[in-house]
Amino acid sequence: MTFAKTPPVIELRDLKKRFGIGDAEHYAIDGIDLTIKKGEFIAIMGPSGCGKTTLLNILGLLDSEIDGEYELDGRHVASLSSRKQARIRSQQIGFIFQSFNLISRLNVIENVALPLTYKGIPRVTRLKLASKMLHNFHLGEREYYLPHQLSGGQTQRVAIARALVNEPSIILADEPTGNLDSHASHIIMEELSDLHKRGNTIIMVTHNPRLTTYASRVITMLDGRIDTDTFTKKPAKKRTKRPLGAKRKKAKA
Amino acid sequence: MRILLISHIQNARQSLKSSRLRSTLTMLGVTIGVASITTILSLSSGASQIVSDQVDALGGNIAVIRPGTVSNTPIDDLADFPTQQNFAASTLTETDIIHLQEIQHVTGIAPIIILTGGVKANSTAPAGTQIVATTPELETVSDLKIAEGQFLDPHLNTDTVVIGPQLSINIFGTEQSIGKQVSIRGTPFTVIGILKRTNNPINYNGVDFDNAVIINKESGRAISQGALQIQQINIRTDSVASLDQVIIDINKSLLKTHLGEVDFSVLSGAQIAQPTNRLFNAIAGTTTAIAAISLLVGGIGIMNIMLVSVAERTREIGIRKALGASNGDIVAQFLIESLALSIGGGIAGYIVGYLGSFAISTFLTFDPVFNWEIAAIAIGLSLFIGTIFGLYPAIRASKKDPISALRQYD
Repeated sequence: MTFAKTPPVIELRDLKKRFGIGDAEHYAIDGIDLTIKKGEFIAIMGPSGCGKTTLLNILGLLDSEIDGEYELDGRHVASLSSRKQARIRSQQIGFIFQSFNLISRLNVIENVALPLTYKGIPRVTRLKLASKMLHNFHLGEREYYLPHQLSGGQTQRVAIARALVNEPSIILADEPTGNLDSHASHIIMEELSDLHKRGNTIIMVTHNPRLTTYASRVITMLDGRIDTDTFTKKPAKKRTKRPLGAKRKKAKA
Repeated sequence: MRILLISHIQNARQSLKSSRLRSTLTMLGVTIGVASITTILSLSSGASQIVSDQVDALGGNIAVIRPGTVSNTPIDDLADFPTQQNFAASTLTETDIIHLQEIQHVTGIAPIIILTGGVKANSTAPAGTQIVATTPELETVSDLKIAEGQFLDPHLNTDTVVIGPQLSINIFGTEQSIGKQVSIRGTPFTVIGILKRTNNPINYNGVDFDNAVIINKESGRAISQGALQIQQINIRTDSVASLDQVIIDINKSLLKTHLGEVDFSVLSGAQIAQPTNRLFNAIAGTTTAIAAISLLVGGIGIMNIMLVSVAERTREIGIRKALGASNGDIVAQFLIESLALSIGGGIAGYIVGYLGSFAISTFLTFDPVFNWEIAAIAIGLSLFIGTIFGLYPAIRASKKDPISALRQYD
């Protein structure tokens, strides 16, 4: 199987996340072993409070107070300084949130350009890249709208554009379609599916079982543990397009 | 790094613009503080400048002898400011003047003996009108200008007086008072000259010549029971080059007659203006310290508004962190915002301060001074305030946990 040869992007060994102390101690994540390979599209399902979002936050380096081991691209996350972690978030990880999380006082193009700021890219280049990204999502005419002037589907597309503008290799989506109607959900899922086909690793938390059809692997969680782990179909073997993030790595070498 | 800084500045501009009223009000606090400091400093250096300018205008060939020693520390000087009306007996005597006349290159010696007492004519002059007893040489040594009549003359009757124009108006009701009689400490004097108006109440002689009467040394002795207190001796030399030598000679000569006791000081150039300048600097320093309190209040205003802004934008901080902002980036973002507030307020305050001091100077006899020190103080203080009061909110912002920050709804 070609799939087995691809290196693991994310490796978790006995990952635990504790909240509270003493009597109130409670493990939101209670021992997860998980290996995620490059190019996988993972859908994480499970009831509310089973630790899906907590897991996603840990994977996205937003939460570093963990027990157990987390290796990202072969590096132990625990040993990374917060500055290094911020750089990884900036260059390798793209977040998509249920509540979009656009900055309301910035217009669409500035929101999309925001992650580029922390990469140290000059303003004009930032806006050019953001504009290009928005055109890819057919939002070219909405560049100077404010977030509240957009529909839910458009807002989420802006948020995805923002997540992708840095060309991250891993995309973390926390219920990306949770606030959208089925039509908008479909468009968003098509976009994610397209990203997956280009070779990006996508980890998506969802409540909606129908969305799992887009995924290559479905994980269900229960009480902070992995309940089931099924591969639904082979991940994209043929790369028709250049994966996002590939250019960056080449430039770095 | 540089690009990041530019981004932070653009970002700060944007976020300050989005809450314009709030930013303006916050800046106003700093503006008021910096404006009052600028006004005080520019006016007080204007006042000090005036004395230095006078000394400069006299040319570099003036030396001044004052009783007592000049201390070197400003604090001592302030505590023991040599007012010309000291109660203690002056250490300078008439014998000194005689010895000074023997020194080479000295072209003029004018002692200044300030007496007080009733000055009366048609009406009584205000109490505290200065009666200056001196020699005719004062005219050339201190460069006094006569509007009408003549200065004191050794060949004339000793009971003659030269009066200031304002005093003439006060006691005679006119500036044309030549030949009229004025009673000084009960003794009648004839007015032989009116000084030209100088509008310089602050000068190194310690005399407001617009409001003074000038009489001969001998008449001065007559009306003060024979004892003269010499407050200051002004010396003019024949050239600038000879001044240094003359000062050395004066020191030698006086030291001999004073039996080796250093109870006098010979000053030249900027030193002459120093006691006056120091007084103004001390006053300016004290008032600046008071004005600094308003700046402190402005700084607290900045801190307050930054804390509100951090609390309001918790979610934004969470988003930015998720998108790759490091703690340092967040600190920089909020610090630059508070610096923008304080520097903006500082620049506005500097301008307002100068407008204010020009407005005030129309009622005063001197103009405010422009110099780089005041600009540096204004900008430096606002930088300081912005950093000190912006740092805590900025650090607090950067310490926010991104997960809980993202969970907060705006």
